[in-house]
Amino acid sequence: MEVILLFAMVVGLLMIGVPIAVSLGFSSVLFLLWFSDSSLASVAQTLFNAFEGHYTLLAIPFFILASSFMSTGGVARRIINFSIACVGHFHGGLAIAGVFACMLFAALSGSSPATVVAIGSIVIAGMRQVGYTKEFAAGVICNAGTLGILIPPSIVMVVYAAAVEVSVGRMFLAGVIPGLLAGLMLMVAIYVIARIKDMPKGVRASWGERLRTGLEAGWGLFLIVIILGGIYGGIFTPTEAAAVAALYAWAIASFVYKDMGPFKATPAKAGSAAAILTLGTALLAVPFWFFMEPKAALALGFIMAIGLSFYIARSNNTSIAPTDLASDLIRMPIAFWHRDTVDTLFEAGKLTVTLLFVIANALILKHVLTDEQIPQQITEAMLAAGLGPIAFLIVVNVILLIGGQFMEPSGLLVIVAPLVFPIAIQLGIDPIHLGIIMVVNMEIGMITPPVGLNLFVTSGVAGMPMMAVVKAALPFLAVLFVFLIMITYIPIISTFLPNLVMGPEIITK
Amino acid sequence: MAHQIKSPTDRFEETLIALILGSMTLVTFANVVARYGFNSNILWAVEFTVFLFAWMVLLGASYAVKIGAHIGVDAILNLVSPGVRKVMSLIAVCVCIAFSLLLLKGSWDYWANFANLPGTEGRWFPTGFEDKFRGKAWYETDDIPMPAILSWMEGAFNDGDEYEKLPRLIPYMIMPISMALLVFRFIQAAFRLLRGDITMIIVSHEAEDQIEDAAQYVKDNA
Repeated sequence: MEVILLFAMVVGLLMIGVPIAVSLGFSSVLFLLWFSDSSLASVAQTLFNAFEGHYTLLAIPFFILASSFMSTGGVARRIINFSIACVGHFHGGLAIAGVFACMLFAALSGSSPATVVAIGSIVIAGMRQVGYTKEFAAGVICNAGTLGILIPPSIVMVVYAAAVEVSVGRMFLAGVIPGLLAGLMLMVAIYVIARIKDMPKGVRASWGERLRTGLEAGWGLFLIVIILGGIYGGIFTPTEAAAVAALYAWAIASFVYKDMGPFKATPAKAGSAAAILTLGTALLAVPFWFFMEPKAALALGFIMAIGLSFYIARSNNTSIAPTDLASDLIRMPIAFWHRDTVDTLFEAGKLTVTLLFVIANALILKHVLTDEQIPQQITEAMLAAGLGPIAFLIVVNVILLIGGQFMEPSGLLVIVAPLVFPIAIQLGIDPIHLGIIMVVNMEIGMITPPVGLNLFVTSGVAGMPMMAVVKAALPFLAVLFVFLIMITYIPIISTFLPNLVMGPEIITK
Repeated sequence: MAHQIKSPTDRFEETLIALILGSMTLVTFANVVARYGFNSNILWAVEFTVFLFAWMVLLGASYAVKIGAHIGVDAILNLVSPGVRKVMSLIAVCVCIAFSLLLLKGSWDYWANFANLPGTEGRWFPTGFEDKFRGKAWYETDDIPMPAILSWMEGAFNDGDEYEKLPRLIPYMIMPISMALLVFRFIQAAFRLLRGDITMIIVSHEAEDQIEDAAQYVKDNA
């Protein structure tokens, strides 16, 4: 009974505009003081332990930081150019390219609204220029943007992994096939609509053009290799992979793309030669590291980097005089404390703070729930009522679809996951599969009318009223609903890849 | 969101957040380099980063109140009339003040014994300091070395006994500090609500202030 009071209080506080973090924390504190003998000091300890005891969560600030450096401007544009070169020649090509670009950007960033803002602003404007309606453009981006939390890396998956203690690596792998599948389904739907309505198609790009745009976007997309390769190659922990990714993204944004930092206003004299020389040496040396002495690997990497920088300098028609090279090299460290770097660090820090404050307080609530053995009580009640896996998953679907409309996904997940997780284990549902179901549910919750975060964001970006965006998103929402049903009832889509790569899951009840 | 001129305090808080996040990244990266490049480990890297992380979020929480960046649900607030919205937001901010006051007491009680100071009596409200308590200032972190500059603490907190590792009272110190700041910022927010400078204390999602720029881009290029 008290539990209902607890959740009613959380929802009530949320509705009157109390921050999510405070709603969760305040309700838990009151509950503890009223119904248990815990002290306020133990609440404070739980709050601090959210950080001290959850090393996994440390990956979140680094992933946010990496995606902030990647959002400094040029990356989204280069990814879009590459996407258009790849699929622009189909009917409805620009829309399909928009979906493709969202998928690629999702692989760099772990947030859905951020994906809509980064890709949406450019693609929606572009689509209108070549004659698509604003509604169609908004509908496409609104839906494709939700892939941000499904395609790894995903902040929501890190949160799930930390909340129920499963492996982050498994969750990331589990998101790959569903993410590709959802993107493909959206693309097919667009193609069908485009054929029926005879929408414009672009010019077929040559393979040379595809290679050129691909190489240009490649510096950014290599981040995917660092993150996934690093984790599954057993080189880094997910947290370390995220930190390396953040540093790499900073180097690419400051030295290669030059979207920020000391080389932004005044172009580097030696082109990107200095950057490519240093970065290239490090990157090219890595594969040789496995076969030979570190020094030899570095030397070989250095020679290859020299060749690469000469090639790039020649194709850009920039000179690489030794003095220019030296002066650029000397200026490179300035990027560490350059205003742009500090500002981006702050923006990422701010985002981390707001997300983690929610998560830390949600962990207080989780502490309350576990202390009172509430998940066990619910499990018993549900099993006594004869609830099977299928009915249970429908209940989970509905709860998350409703919750996902109002709430930031990570906060929602920390609350719901500990409640439904023990039940799912009892019913024999795979923890990884459950995680993917929850992520997909929240994706769809973000675009389900009447409200939904991505709907708000898209209406803001496209300058359209909410209802118009809702209507525009509906046909594709139907596609994603079919996708949700597939994900919910065909576990193998989610579990195949992690079981293949990391061996079968050992479930301890 | 209007871009206001930033005060020195704003600058200080922003730079501090940036500095902490930057150090976290560099330390974690350095640990990877040490492992693969030099076949060794920076023993204290993980624990140090985790404490920095806690410091950033807890300190940042009060800054996020100041700039109105905390995430909430604005669906209902956007439906009601401005008058009702103001009343609802004022109730909300009172809840926030109550919450941060309770946590301030909690975090003082938690931290105080680590610094050989008395916690407070009372379950809800501090009714006075406890007479008897067991000081825990001897309690050290697992791996972080004790910097020489802090050796005066041995006399002040540890009966002159040497600290081999950093005592826990230092990382935990952030709890009462950050909660006191949180109380202060929520009270400030309450006054700004009353004066009508702001209409609510939350935003609905993290990308809110980037939307306007994006919308402008779409308008200019369509």
